[in-house]
Amino acid sequence: MKVANNGGAGSVVLKKRITKTELRRQSVLLIIAGLYVIYGIVFYYLPLAGWTMAFENFKLKDGIFGSEKVGFKWFKTLFEDKTFLRIIRNTLAMGVINLISTTVTAIGFAILLSEVRNVMGKKIVQTISYLPHFLSWIVVTSIVKDAFATKGMINELLTSLGIIKTPISFFMHTQYFWPIVAISNVWKETGWNAIIYLATITAIDPSLYEAAAMDGAGRWQRIKHITIPGIRSTIIILLIMNIGNVINAGFEVQYLLGLGVLKPVSETIDIYVLNYGMKNYSLGTAAGIFKTFVSMTLILLFNFIAKKTGDERLF
Amino acid sequence: MKSKKIFAVALACMMTVGSFAGCKKKSDSSSTTASSGSDTTASQTASDSAADPTETEGSTAATEASTYGADEISDYTFLAFMANKEINDGNDIQEELAKRTGVRIKETWNANQDAAEAVGTMIASGDLPDFIDGGNGCKMLAENDCLVAWDDYLKDPAYANLKEMFSDKQWELFRQADGHIYWANVFGKTYGEPKTRTHNDEAFWVQVRVLEDANYPVIETLDEYFALLENYAKKYPKNEDGTEVIPYTALCEGWRYFCIENAPEFLDGYPNDGSVIVQLEGVDKPTIVDYNTTPTAKMYFKKLNEVYNAGIMDPEFATMDYDGYIAKLASGAVLGMCDQNWDFAQINNTFIEKGFDKKGYNYVPLGLVAQKGQTKNQWHAYADVPNVSSGICVTTKCDDPDKAFKFLNTCLDQDIHDLRFWGIEGTDYLVDDNGLYYRTEEMRQNWQSDAYLAKHVCTYSYFPQWGGTSRDGKNAMKPGDQESEFFATLSDPLKKAFDAYGYTAYGDFLRSEHITELGFWYPMYSHSNDMDTTTDYGMAWARMGDCKHEWLPKVVISKDFESDWEKYQKAYKDCKPEVFLEEMQKELDRRIELSK
Repeated sequence: MKVANNGGAGSVVLKKRITKTELRRQSVLLIIAGLYVIYGIVFYYLPLAGWTMAFENFKLKDGIFGSEKVGFKWFKTLFEDKTFLRIIRNTLAMGVINLISTTVTAIGFAILLSEVRNVMGKKIVQTISYLPHFLSWIVVTSIVKDAFATKGMINELLTSLGIIKTPISFFMHTQYFWPIVAISNVWKETGWNAIIYLATITAIDPSLYEAAAMDGAGRWQRIKHITIPGIRSTIIILLIMNIGNVINAGFEVQYLLGLGVLKPVSETIDIYVLNYGMKNYSLGTAAGIFKTFVSMTLILLFNFIAKKTGDERLF
Repeated sequence: MKSKKIFAVALACMMTVGSFAGCKKKSDSSSTTASSGSDTTASQTASDSAADPTETEGSTAATEASTYGADEISDYTFLAFMANKEINDGNDIQEELAKRTGVRIKETWNANQDAAEAVGTMIASGDLPDFIDGGNGCKMLAENDCLVAWDDYLKDPAYANLKEMFSDKQWELFRQADGHIYWANVFGKTYGEPKTRTHNDEAFWVQVRVLEDANYPVIETLDEYFALLENYAKKYPKNEDGTEVIPYTALCEGWRYFCIENAPEFLDGYPNDGSVIVQLEGVDKPTIVDYNTTPTAKMYFKKLNEVYNAGIMDPEFATMDYDGYIAKLASGAVLGMCDQNWDFAQINNTFIEKGFDKKGYNYVPLGLVAQKGQTKNQWHAYADVPNVSSGICVTTKCDDPDKAFKFLNTCLDQDIHDLRFWGIEGTDYLVDDNGLYYRTEEMRQNWQSDAYLAKHVCTYSYFPQWGGTSRDGKNAMKPGDQESEFFATLSDPLKKAFDAYGYTAYGDFLRSEHITELGFWYPMYSHSNDMDTTTDYGMAWARMGDCKHEWLPKVVISKDFESDWEKYQKAYKDCKPEVFLEEMQKELDRRIELSK
C-alpha cells in the first residue's frame, strides 16, 4: 500500500485528497476495515447503551428504555457506603501489590533464565515454570488452601525450621491475606509473564555483551548496563497496559479464599457487584462504570507520565 | 458503506431488544388454562388413533387405569438449585410414572449457583426449563412474566389435588403483587394425622455415642452441651481409625452461615422465623424483635468464644467451605454442631457404607434452651410450615401448561404418590394382612444403596408431595414415617438411645412444645428472602448479613470478647437494622390483616 504522506526532507507535508478512483482502488481494504468497525460498534459500543441502567431503577421486564429514571441515586448509594470505600481500597491495594510482585519476579526470573548456559536445563525450567498459568483458579486456590492450612506444608516448614512454635491459621487473620494472594499470583503467573521479557532479552545484540566483556564488565555489570536498559521499553509498555488492570485485582482467588473473617480485606469490586448487584442490576452497573472510569484514568495518567519522562508509550 | 452501517445498527438493535425480551408471556398460555385436562390428552392423541383417548378423565380418583403409549409421553425438564443425585436414564419407576402420567421429567440439579444469580441470566437468555424450583429467584421469574399462573387451575375441579395442598388463606399468602399465584411449596405438608418421625430442621446435633458414653443424660443448656462434648473428647481424643475428634464445629460459609448465626432465636424458645423473632408476650400486638442483639445472643457467642479459646471448637471453623464441612462430618470426627438436618443428611449413606452407623457416629438432635428449666422451646415444629417464598413453578417455556399442571396434580394421586415414595409393590414393599406396607431387609438395603436408587427409584423429590398419613388411613405417606420401617432402619446405637430415653421419634429429643398451629404470619423469612438491594430495607438487610458474616467468627475467636462484642454491635448498628425491622413489622401487620 502506498503511503499517503511521503514528503521527503524539507518538503511540505501534503494531505492527499480522497478521490473516487482512490476509493475504488482501495475498496477491498475499506470493506475489510469496515467489517472491523462494524464489529467494534456492535460488540463494544452498542452494549454501552446498557450503562443507562446505572441511572434508573432497572427492571428486566421494563427493559433499558422503560425503567424508572433515578439519576445518580446508585452512585450516591455506592459512595455513601463504607463497605464500598473499603472495597475500593482492597481492590487497588491487591491490584498494585499483584502488579508489582508479578512484574518484578517475572523480570528477575527472565534475567536469571537468560543467564543459564545449559539449553536443555533452561528449556525444562521454562516449561515447568509457565505450566501453572494454565491451571484454573479453583485448582490453584485448593493448592493454596492446603499449603497454608494449619497442618499444611508452610506451617510444617516453619515449625520444623523453628521460626514459629505453634502453627499459624493463616486464613483466620486479615494481615496474611494480601501476601497470600500475591504469592498465589506470583506462583501462577511468573513463568508465563517472563516469556515476553525473555524474548526481548534474546533480541538484544550479542555484540554488546561481547564488547562489554572485553572491557572487563562482569556478569552483574552486564545485566545492569545492557540487559535492563535493553528491556526497559518493554517494561514500560507492559506496565502501562497492565496498570489499567489494577482495578481487576481479581475475583476468583478472593472469592474462593476470602471467607468470613477475611471479608474486610478480601472483597473486591467484582465480588461486591456479585453480592449486591445480582438482583439489583442498576447498582451493579454503577459499580462497573466506576471501575471503567478508574481504569481509564490510570492508563491515561501513566501514559502521560511516560510521555513526560520521554519513555515509550501507548499513544 | 452507509447502508451496511445502517444494517449493522439495525441488527444490533434487534439483538439488544431480543436479549431483553427473553420472557414474553405466551399469549395463549393463560387463556386456555381453564379447559379440562382431557382436552390435552385428546389433542396429544389426535395424531395417534390407536391410543384410547377416553381415558384420563379430569377426576382425581380415576387414574388407575390410564396408560400412555411411548409417543404420547411428553419429556419435560426440571431445574432446582439444590444438591441432589441424578437418576439414570431409563430408571424403572420413572418409566412407570411416564406410562401412568404421560410425562417424563428430566431433573437437573444446580447446587453451584445461587438461584437468584442463575435466574437472572436465564431470564435474559430466555433459556428456561419447563418446571423450576426457583428458590430465591421465584419472585424475579414471576415479575418477568416467565411463569404460568396457577389461579385458573386452582379453580378447576379437575385439579383438585393441587387446590387441596393448602387452605384458601394459605394460598393467599402465595399471591404475588400482580394478583396471581405462580408457585406452591411442596414441603412441610401433612395429610391427615401427622406421622413425622424425622427432624428435618435445625438443632444442636450430637453423635449418639457421646450420649451413650455419658449414660444418656438430658441436655438442656449450652453449658451442659459443651461439657458433654469436652468430656467425651478428653476420654477419646481419637477415633478408631486414628482421626482426631473435633468436639464442635460451626459452618460460616455463604448463606449457610445460619449454622452459627440463628441459634439465639431457638435458644429463646421461638420457632424458625429465620430473620427475626415474633414476640407475643408482654406486647399489645405481635412485635418483631431482632435476635442478633438480645442478651441470649451475647450469651451464646460468649460461650462459643469460651469454648474456642479452650480448644473445644474446630480451629478452622471460620474458613472452611461447605465441601470441607461435609467432608469433616462424613469422616465421623465431629462430635457436635448446630445445623439443619437437610443440610448434612447426605452423610448418612456414607456412614452406612463405612460402617460408621454401627459405631454410633449418627447424630441425634438436642433442643437446647437459654436457661435451665425453660419450657419455651420450638426447635421442632409440630405444625405445617409452608414457606411461601418459593416452590415449584411451571414456566412459559412449557409448550403445554395444561398437561404440566395435570402432571403436578397427578403427582398427588395416592397410587402415584405411593409409586414415587414407596416404589413398586412386590419389589420395593409388601402389604401385610392389615393393609400395612412393610419392607424386607433386602428391600431396605436396596433403598440405602445409591446405585439402586439411581437405577430404580424416582421420587421427583421437588414435585408436590405429602407427609403424614396415606389416604387409606393406615400407612404413612412416606416410608421413613412408617413406624415399622423407621425402627427397622435405625442402627443399633440409635435404637439403644431411643429406648433409653423412651422416645419414638427424632422430634422427641428436642423436647419442644406441642404447638400444632403457628401464627398465620409464619415463617417471616419468606419475606426477608425476597428482598433485594433496590430498596432501603433490602440494602439494610444485605449489609446486616455482610456485617454478621464478618463479625460472628471474629467475636468467637476474639481474645477480648467484651470489647469485640461492643465493636460488632456498633458495626451492626451502622447497617441500619431498624429500617429492615420496620419493614418486617409492616409485613407482619399485613399478614395478620390477611388472616382476618
